Formats: sequence, structure tokens, C-alpha cells
Amino acid sequence: MESVTQERPAAPAPIRSEPVPDSSPSPTPKTGGLMEWFTHWPIERRVLAGFGLVFAGIVVISAISYRNTAVLIENSRLDTKSHELVQLLGSVGEALGAAESGHRRYLVTGDESYLTSYRTVVEQMPEYLRYLRGLTSEGPEQQARVATLEQLIARQLGAEEGAIAQREKHGYEGVRHLALSGAAKKELEGIHRLMTELDSAEQQALRSRVAQSAGSTRNTIALLGLGALLQLVLLASVYFLIHHDVAERRRVATELQSRGELLQAANKELEAFSYSVSHDLRAPLRHIDGYAALLSKAAGEALNDKARRYLQTISDSAKQMGQLIDDLLVFSRMGRQDMLRTTVNLDQLVKTVLHDLRLDLQGRTISWTMHPLPEVLGDPAMLRQVFVNLISNALKFTATRPETKIEIGAVRRNSGEAEVFVRDNGVGFDMQYVNKLFGVFQRLHRNDEFEGTGIGLANVRRIIHRHGGRTWAEGVLGQGATFYFSLPLARSLR
Amino acid sequence: MTTVKPILLAEDNPRDAELALAAMEEQHIADKVVVCHDGAEVLDYLYCRGIFASRQQGNPVVVFLDLKMPKVDGLEVLRTIKNDVNLKPIPVVMLTSSREERDLAQSYALGANAYVVKPVEFHQFITAVKELGIFWGVINEPPPEGSEPIE
Repeated sequence: MESVTQERPAAPAPIRSEPVPDSSPSPTPKTGGLMEWFTHWPIERRVLAGFGLVFAGIVVISAISYRNTAVLIENSRLDTKSHELVQLLGSVGEALGAAESGHRRYLVTGDESYLTSYRTVVEQMPEYLRYLRGLTSEGPEQQARVATLEQLIARQLGAEEGAIAQREKHGYEGVRHLALSGAAKKELEGIHRLMTELDSAEQQALRSRVAQSAGSTRNTIALLGLGALLQLVLLASVYFLIHHDVAERRRVATELQSRGELLQAANKELEAFSYSVSHDLRAPLRHIDGYAALLSKAAGEALNDKARRYLQTISDSAKQMGQLIDDLLVFSRMGRQDMLRTTVNLDQLVKTVLHDLRLDLQGRTISWTMHPLPEVLGDPAMLRQVFVNLISNALKFTATRPETKIEIGAVRRNSGEAEVFVRDNGVGFDMQYVNKLFGVFQRLHRNDEFEGTGIGLANVRRIIHRHGGRTWAEGVLGQGATFYFSLPLARSLR
Repeated sequence: MTTVKPILLAEDNPRDAELALAAMEEQHIADKVVVCHDGAEVLDYLYCRGIFASRQQGNPVVVFLDLKMPKVDGLEVLRTIKNDVNLKPIPVVMLTSSREERDLAQSYALGANAYVVKPVEFHQFITAVKELGIFWGVINEPPPEGSEPIE
């Protein structure tokens, strides 16, 4: 009979079980057990870790690409400058050449028109030089060359100016030695050499930058390719993680459903079973009792006292078994019955229970200690049964005391739960048998001491468990017992 | 004096039937009791067919009906009685061992006039059967024979 032996006495649920803190062992990473450690992670954390890695990869690749692109842009800016410089050097060289040959022709002919180029150069040279300085501002070597170039150009122009002045003063004869070779031959050569140096240095820089840009571009492309591959692998593993989890969940759901169906079938069977127990087991008992009574009536005076006692015992046993069957049916019904969930005022409930038990209270000296009780969530009829059973027990096991003391109260242990207790000063019990108290048909006293079938506390436990609460007890042999149960609160205790 | 209207007791268990008769005997109404041993027999009696084809016409004053019976069970018999305009007025008392809520609900839904759980204890059983016999067989006024159903 599954429903009844559910709480079989051989393996009793621990009474007084305080809520054990959820001690899921925190996985500690060990070398070698890293994979195992990872598989201990919940799916959410694993997926998050996967996406985190993908994100980190994207950040790293973006940073490197950004840096490489910045280098390319900078190189391209420098390239433009270099090209401008090379072009400018050409113009400067050409202008200087034109001015030099013009001034020599003037020295020979004295024709002023030959001095146009020279004058233009003198006028424009500061501008050219400013450009040159600007274009070489980022290379100290080139800057030094430009500075030297400036001095040489100033000296050459100065020498040419001196020659022109002498020609004006002294005529051709005064400058004959200069007219053929030019006024500043040496400077002119230096200028050409320097300009070639500037030009080749700039070309060199250009070539190296082109090589650098090409390398950087190649690196970027390789990095992007590798990154994409890695992301693909990571995303694929995350997909497989999620896919695996979803498949697992689907499997569990299917299994739960089939188990639920099995459970429903088992429940139906159980119902049919308890139905036939209710109907069929009672009939033979009624017959035993009935025929014993008929026999006693029919035989009448012919029976001696012994025979009458035997008949009485047959009858009593049949009645007792009838009571046991009824108790079992009630217990079984407690587990199957639909449960209400309303706010129950326990103070009120206890008052009505005491009123109903008033016949049992007659002729007893009882000192009650009643503490205020909270409102709880539950089924009023079932909770009423709990108090009837506990208070009846308290009355039963204090019957041998000259003065009975019964205390009923509640303590709030944590928010949302109340612990209610019923304490008596009765015969109590030995704590080593505490696990047997709430079992079906478990009794700690002989029937001739205290009567009863031993179903009361089993019903209490079943009702409280269905309410999501716990039951436990404390007792000292000969000094009394306290029975506790916890229930979800309707609202805070006070 | 008109013919004594019988009490119909449907009880498949001969011991229960005997115990019930023993109880009725104390009230001297046992001779009014007709015992049927299954649901089919009850219907045969009510429709005057089979072994009851030649019985005196007329409905019983009350039917005591066990729930669990061979062939046709108590609820089936109850349904047949309450769906037949001629049988409908007969008071039907369920007399059963079952305390199941479902049986109670179904019986009343089908139109049972009373529902009595057989007590295990013999004296209580005797008392219950006696009181039932007296109330339904003597005190209660049965519906007039051949009364036209009021639609």
C-alpha cells in the first residue's frame, strides 16, 4: 500500500531537520582538471564565457587593425609631403640655375633684362625656404641639410649681388674673371650636391614607407582572416553548447511528462485499491462481529464465562481492525484530497477545536497557556485535524497527571514561516524513539496504557508536508513532550 | 387489508443478507423482505420478468441497494430505476460499505433518496438496519400505486 507506507518507519524522514544550507561544492580549478572544472559550470556561465571570448577577440582585432590603419594614413600623409619636397627641390634648383645663367649673361652683356630671373629668385627665395623648412620639419637630418642649403643659397645670392654691383661700377672689365665661371661657383656646386642628397634621402624614406605599408596591410589581412576563423570556431562551440543544452532539456521534459503520466496511472490504481479496501475489507469484519453477536445470543445461557470472554475478544478484534481500516482510509484520503489555500486564523481554529473537545475535558484539571498564534496559509479543515490530533494526544498522555499543563504557541523563525508548538507535561517519550513518532501505526505505548491506533501523528505529518512545512518533536521520558510544526505565514507574525 | 408491500433488499453477500434479515426479524418485518443477489435480479423483480415473472404486481415500498454487486452494479440499477417513469417514485436507499466521496456524490446525483454506510460493529449495524426498516417500511408513506407522474 504505497500511499500508506510512504513514510515507512524503517527509514523515517529526519525529524527536527533544520533547513540545511545548500552546500553545492564550489568547483576548484586544478591543473589537469581544467576541462572538468569547465564542464561543472552551468550552461549560462559557459555560454557567457564563450561570448566573452568572442567579444575580447573582436576588441583585440579591432585595436590592431586600427593601429595598422593609422600607420597607413600617417605614411600616406608623409608620402604626400615627400612628393611635394621632391617637386619643390626641382623648382628651387631650376630657379637658381636660371638666375645664375642670367646673371652671367648680364655680366657679359650688361643687358639689364637678363637680371629678371635673378631678381625673381631673390624675391621668392624666402618663401621657397619657408616651404622647405615646413616640409622637412619631421626629419632632423633633412632639416640640417635645409639649414646648410639656406646658408649656401644666401652666400651664392650674396656673391652674385656683389658681382652685379661691380659690373655696374666698373663695367665688363671689372668682372671679366667672373663672367665666365660665375660669381659663386663653389657655392653652386655645394647647393647642387645638397639638393641631390635631400632628394635621395626623401626617395629612400618613401621606399621604406611603401615597404612598411605593404607589410602592415598584409599583417592586417592575415589577422582579420585568423580572427574570423577563431570567432567562427568559438561561435560554433557556443552553438553546440546551447544546442546540447536545449536537446537535454527537451529530453528531460519528455521524460518528466512520461513519468507524470505513469504517476497519474499509479494514482488511479491506488484510488481503485483504496476503494476496494474500503468496500471489501470491511464486510468480513462485519460478519465476524455479527456472527459472534448472533452466536452469543443464540447460545445464551449455555455459554460459560470463558466462552463468553472468547466471543467478546473476537468481537473486539474485529472492531479494532475496522478502526484500523478506517484510519488508513482517512490517511490515504489526506494524501489525495484536493487542498484549499486560504488564510487561516489559528487562534480561532484552536478555540473551535477546544470547544469540540469539551467532552474530553470534563473532570480534568487543566491549566492552559495560550500564546497568540499567527495567520497562516492552508486548508482550514486539514489544519483543524492537525490541532485535534495534537491536542487530543496532549490530553491523552497527561491523563495520569494530577494537574495537566498544556501550552500552545508560535515562534517566527524566519520571514514567511511560523513554527507552532503544542507542549504538555504528560508521560513524554525517550528521544531515541523520536524517529518513530510520526510513522503510520507507530506507537510508543502499550494499548492497555494508552489506547489508539497510532495514525494521529502520521496524519499530522502528512498534512503539514502537503502544506510545505516540517514536523518534529522533543520529549523527556516522564516529563512531557513538545510537538512542533512549521507552516507558511499569511503575513508577518506581528 | 391491502397486500403488504415488500421491502426489496439487493445484497450479493449472503452473510450480510442474513445479518440484515436477523435485524429486521427483531422488528417483525423480515417477512416483508425480498432478497435479490445481484443487480440483474433486482431489475428482473422490478420489471416482473425472469424468476419474478409471476410475482404479484406492484412496486416495493423501498429498495435497499448495495453498490458493488455482480452483473449489474448498484449505480447501474439506480440509474435504470430513476430513468423509468414508473419506477422513479420508489425510494432507493444505498446501503453499502463504501465511504468514498465519489460514490456518495454519484449516488445522490443519480437520485438516491438516502445513503447509509454499513457500520462494522454488529450492534450499530443491527440498529441501522432496524431503523431503516422501520422508517422506510413502516413510518414513511410510499408513493401511491399507479400514480401518474406529474409532468
